[in-house]
Parts: sequence; C-alpha cells; structure tokens
Amino acid sequence: MALDLYRTAAQIDAAVARADLGAARERRMDAVIAALRDADASTLNARVEAAQGLLAFLPAEAVEPPGAVFPPTPPPADFSVVAVDGSHIDVNRHLPLRCALVNIGGCRLTYGSAPDAELFSRPALRTTDADLYLQDPASPSARQAVEGALMGLVRTVEEASALADAVEAGVSTPTLALLDGTLVLWELGGELPPRGRFPEYVRQQLLHDGLLAALDRIRAAVRPEPVEGRRLMAVASYISLPNSAEVVNLLRLALCDLDPVGHCQVHCRALAPGGRRCDAAHDVTDRELFARTLAPGERSAVFASRSPVARDAYGPHRVHFFYVNVGEEIGRVELPAWVADDPALLSLAHALVVDNARRGAGYPVALQEAHEQAVVTGADREAFKNMVERALEGRGLPVYTSQKQRSKRRPWV
Amino acid sequence: MTLDGAPDNRIGEVVEAGSTGFTAECYALYGAPPLGSLVRVGDPAIYGVVYSVTTAALDPGRRVAARGADEPDEASVYRNNPQIARLLATHLQALVVGHDRLGTVVQRLPAAPPRIHAFVYCCDAGEVAAFTEQLDYLRLLTTASVPAIDEVIAANVRLAAEGRPDAGAFRQRAANALATELASDVTRLNAILRGIA
Repeated sequence: MALDLYRTAAQIDAAVARADLGAARERRMDAVIAALRDADASTLNARVEAAQGLLAFLPAEAVEPPGAVFPPTPPPADFSVVAVDGSHIDVNRHLPLRCALVNIGGCRLTYGSAPDAELFSRPALRTTDADLYLQDPASPSARQAVEGALMGLVRTVEEASALADAVEAGVSTPTLALLDGTLVLWELGGELPPRGRFPEYVRQQLLHDGLLAALDRIRAAVRPEPVEGRRLMAVASYISLPNSAEVVNLLRLALCDLDPVGHCQVHCRALAPGGRRCDAAHDVTDRELFARTLAPGERSAVFASRSPVARDAYGPHRVHFFYVNVGEEIGRVELPAWVADDPALLSLAHALVVDNARRGAGYPVALQEAHEQAVVTGADREAFKNMVERALEGRGLPVYTSQKQRSKRRPWV
Repeated sequence: MTLDGAPDNRIGEVVEAGSTGFTAECYALYGAPPLGSLVRVGDPAIYGVVYSVTTAALDPGRRVAARGADEPDEASVYRNNPQIARLLATHLQALVVGHDRLGTVVQRLPAAPPRIHAFVYCCDAGEVAAFTEQLDYLRLLTTASVPAIDEVIAANVRLAAEGRPDAGAFRQRAANALATELASDVTRLNAILRGIA
C-alpha cells in the first residue's frame, strides 16, 4: 500500500480537534452578522475608496444595502434555461502528437406549456499552431503555448462563446443563460510584469476578443424593445460551494476601529493577528455568513467585484454577484452589470436559479446536464490516447511514450 | 407506438447483434412494440420476436432518481423535468426466428446476424400473417434460453391470431405445433396453451 491510511486518519483526527469550529468561532460569526445587519452601503464604499491601496484584502463594492434580503419572485409561466459547460484533455507531452481536446456540452431546457429539452456536445481537437498557441500580432516570434492555466482560460472563453451561439440560435421565452464557475478571469488581472502573469496580447485575445465579445453577443441577443414586450434574457454564472470572502472583507471595514479605518498597511503591520476587531472575520467565508442570514430561496444584496481585472476591463459586463440559498447550500451567482442593474433581469436570474436548483436537488439541473454532456471521463481520456496512437500507427508514424509513463503503466517488482 | 413521421413502422435500430438475437434502441421513449411482436430488421430481412423490453438511463453510469415526491401525477414529473425523456432509452431484445432468402421466408437462423444500426420495423398484420403461415419458428422460441420464454410464446401466438380472419383455426394450428415440440414436457405445454386461449 502506497498511502498509509491509518497514519493519515490519525493526522486528520488531530487536525479536526485543533480546528476552530466551536463556540469561539460562533461568537466571531455573531459579530460579523451584526456588522452585516447594520452595514451602510455608502459608508462602507467610501471607507474602501479612502483606504485604496492600503487594504490587505479585497472587499466587494456594495450595490444594494449589504444586509438586505430578497425572496424570489415566482418564475414566469413559460421559460427556458440554457447552460453550457466544458471539459478538456490538455496537451500531454507523453503523447507523440501535440494536441488537446476541448469538449463543450450544453442544454436548453424549456418549461411551462410546451416543455422540451435539447442536449448537445461538441468536441474540438486542437492540433494546429493556431489552436495551440496564442500569437502576438506585433511580433511573429512571441507566442504563448495554450496549455495548463491558459488552456483552462481558453476553455472558459469557448464555453461563453458556445452559450452565445445557443442564445443567438433563438430565444422565444424568458431565458436564463447559465455558465458554471466564475466570470472573473483572475489569471488575466494583477499588476505583475507587465500587467499580470500573461502578456497584453493574451489578455486582449482571451478577455476582450474572447469572454467579453461573447458577453456582447449575448447582450445583443436581447432585443432592445419596450420592457413589456421584449424577450427577457439574463446571463449568469453559478458557483457551488463558493469560497470567496469579498463581502466579509467589506465588513472588516465596518468592524475596524482604527483611525483612519482600513489603513491595514499602516496600522496592522506590527499587530499580531487576533488582536484587531476585524479578526472576527478571520477565515470566515461569504457562504458561511449568508448561510445564517438567508432563508431557502432568498438572495443577498447585489455586490460588485473590485478585482482589478473585473473592475478595469469588463466595461458594461463588470462582474456583480449575489449569494442565494438554493435549499441545500449557499450558491454564488455572478452577473454582468447590465443584468444586475436591470430589476427585471436580476429578478429573472434569481427566480430561475432557485427554480432550477430545486429541480436539481440543490444544484441547477441545466448545469448538471451541461456537465454530463461535457464531461471527459478517465476512460474517455484513455480511449482518446489510444485513438491518437492507433491513428499514428495506421500511417506508419512512430508512437513513443516516456519511460516514466511506461513504468507507471506497468509497475514491476 | 412508432416515431411520429417514421416511414413503414420504423421503431428503432440494432445496437447489439448476435446469431440468435439482437438488441435495438427504440427511437421513442416507451416506443417498443408489445412483448411477443414480430419485428423485421435490415435488407435482406431478418425476423425477430420481441422477448424483452427495458427502459433505463441511456448512460449506464447515471442512476435514475425519484423526482415526483412533490408532483401531483406522473405526467407532471416529465413535464417539469423535460430532460428526462432525453436521458432515458427504451431497448427491445428479440430472438431471431427467420430470414429472407432469395425472396422466401426461411424460419431458421441466418448465416450472419443483423448489422449494427440496421433499422428495425414493426411487422404489420399482413407481414405477420404471411410469416406465420409456417410455424417452424416456434421451435426456435421453445428452445431459447431466455427468462419467461413461455409467456413470450403465448403472447406471440395471441398477437398473430388477433390479426388474422381465421384466428381460431390459427390458434389450433399453433397449439398442435407446440404439442409436437413440447411432447416430453406436458406441464410446460399446458402452461403455454392456457396463455394462448
């Protein structure tokens, strides 16, 4: 046996015993909840602005009163949920052919007087240079290989683009277009050299020509007709078990009693964690906070992301979000500003996320089905590898693998 | 029940085939013909008798979960979960009972099984009447080792009789043929005959 499970179990027990899950944490949570109930949006936003550059954490921007709670409206009589998800097989240097596979899956579920379902999946083999590299248009020698984190970003863009295709194909009832995961391409933000981990042309191609262009298409698919007669369509992305703490971080500025408020870099450098009032929020996630304030179906106030990339580059699609109690858990719903700012679209997104999660026993059923269409299983990966090898062999081309891979496949004594 | 608009009673296609039997996926959910029905596959035709119908999740890795605890009736379970119909599939299994050889129906096994994706048609009354002019195929059924085959035989004879003007005479002829095949197993013969009556 490679992993000693007995020793591992003992270590897990010890870690759980040490974890701060008891009464002390409850008291801290009470303080954070009290801060949420009393929070005033403009005061907190002003404090964030005043402490710009001095904060040690990323707070949300309050758009509605932070402590407000909204019950869902009933869904329309007829409506649809369109969802897209993706999965991929990354470039594998153990394979003799340089290639990757992106599988986009999705569904359109129509409810009401004419119920219907449409499921689709679209595998795309990426094997040309144009598929496998992002090219700097200004310099023929500068390019980035699409693999690892970059492949993940390319897939996110493909998902958004497939959602735009699905929406452009026609929307006849009020519709929620749903993606899985966050709309914030964090990896493309940051201030590191020269503007984040990736060069500007990567940011241009994936963000502006990619995700944001897809969101532009989705937005354009909603006809600008008078509110009464138009086709309502909201776009959102859903995050199950979210781990973010942007709202809790905003509340740190309500808890902070130092003067001036929130100048962490000035006050707190020399302070050991545990002694500051905002330490009540230490290690608390937004999900835990709203698990105590939202009843099933209810959503939190809307907040806007202050992540540098979402704030600076997204324009009309600046990422807003709310938390929602879908019955089984607290989910995070991210929406572009143009959805969050439109009461009818915001209410549609809220109602349909709650309704679809109810049908899916706690997770939107449209996302479940999109995932099932997209998923590439371990067996699929093995089959894909064999197909590539067989195709090469069929043409008399050399098939090789690394000695490491060979040794893993056939362990010997 | 057939797929709306499908020509010639086409109900599905072969997804697994062997010399003595085949499995077909039906185009419509719950779209299999009744147990014991005669079906025709491919060209030249191979004939089969439906001995089993199953409806289950299309993906064997996904279990079907109960969804109707809060629904007033079964129809609303499907209406409120429109994806279900796309995720389930009805399959029929048939025993091969004959094939077309140079324009003549031969009630023996064909040289080769049906091809995968061969279309499956439900035989109409005329085809059933023509096929059941001979009853040699009953031997292929009585000797098949599949569960509850006697029920299938009885259902097959009943269905064939229903479509014929000489139903009574046909039942008698089938009973005689079965008596010859099952002369050594009177208990089994009687059970089948009770099912035919």
